[in-house]
Amino acid sequence: MMQRVLSVIVIGLLAVVFTRIVGAYVQLDALRPLAASYVTLSPESLTTPNVITGILITYRGLDTLGEVAVLFMVAASLGLLLKPLEGQPKPPKAFQRSDPGEIVHSGKQVMFPMILTFGAYVIVNGHLSAGGGFQGGAIVAAGVMLLLIATPETRLNTTLLSIVESTAGILFVLLGILGIVLAGGFLDPRFLPAGELGGFISAGAIPLISALLGIKVGAELSVVIDKFRT
Amino acid sequence: MSELIGSLFIFSGSVFLFSAGLGLLRMPDAFTRIQTGTKATTMGATLVMIGLAIYHPDWIFKLLLIIYFVYVSNPISSHALARSGHRLGTPMAPGPDALAEIDTRSDAAGDKL
Repeated sequence: MMQRVLSVIVIGLLAVVFTRIVGAYVQLDALRPLAASYVTLSPESLTTPNVITGILITYRGLDTLGEVAVLFMVAASLGLLLKPLEGQPKPPKAFQRSDPGEIVHSGKQVMFPMILTFGAYVIVNGHLSAGGGFQGGAIVAAGVMLLLIATPETRLNTTLLSIVESTAGILFVLLGILGIVLAGGFLDPRFLPAGELGGFISAGAIPLISALLGIKVGAELSVVIDKFRT
Repeated sequence: MSELIGSLFIFSGSVFLFSAGLGLLRMPDAFTRIQTGTKATTMGATLVMIGLAIYHPDWIFKLLLIIYFVYVSNPISSHALARSGHRLGTPMAPGPDALAEIDTRSDAAGDKL
């Protein structure tokens, strides 16, 4: 009885709190000053119609570099975490990998190129439409995952992937430093010609940075998926 | 006029999608649920895409690509799910098991189905 009364009181208090929150919500009529400056600056000075890419790759480029570094640390430490313990028994028979069958195999042959093409499309159109390096790289890694599911005997060349990924990372930082030398600051993409707003080759170095990000994320996530197999 | 036709297509697609959701609730076992979830959503997605194509004729190429992707990926993924479910011995609703005979044969032939 006591408990019920207490829960009714708690629910009533929560109702008061949430009604106050809902009541205090005001729909903003205009953008906040920071958002407004991003929205006007992205098309004008970066010549990218995609404000989000402008923010992610230029104004908050250092954060993106940090995210990539976090991903790198995840990939590096996974091997340590997923190493089988000494004397651990093998997994039971029902969970051992078996042949996924002819239909999945044929489907992979149709869909794998499609997924890779779509990933590349998302990466190279990052400065024009929704998407960019991170998203496209994740799509590419999803294609690799399909490959690993459909043909379990595939061996990924993880050494090559690691080298590709590290090279992309180094080039990313180098482009950032070029931004310091030739333009306004770290990861400033305006040292390349700006081009026309909305053109495929435009927005300075943003497509280059986006492509490097895509290569790096795709290679990295593929290595992560491969590590979960063993 | 084209807006009306497009809306009708999108509406009929959503009816199919709704029937898929209803089937998930009403069907007796995992395999029949997979089946409703696949067939009805394939049709529903197609009709919605056709409706969008009537709304925006300049999107037709991309919408065709999406339909093609759905047609390839939807049956294959549900096939893989149902196949692994059957192999693990997921319980079925009472009724004849069409795969029972094939299973015993393939077990004898060395597990190739």
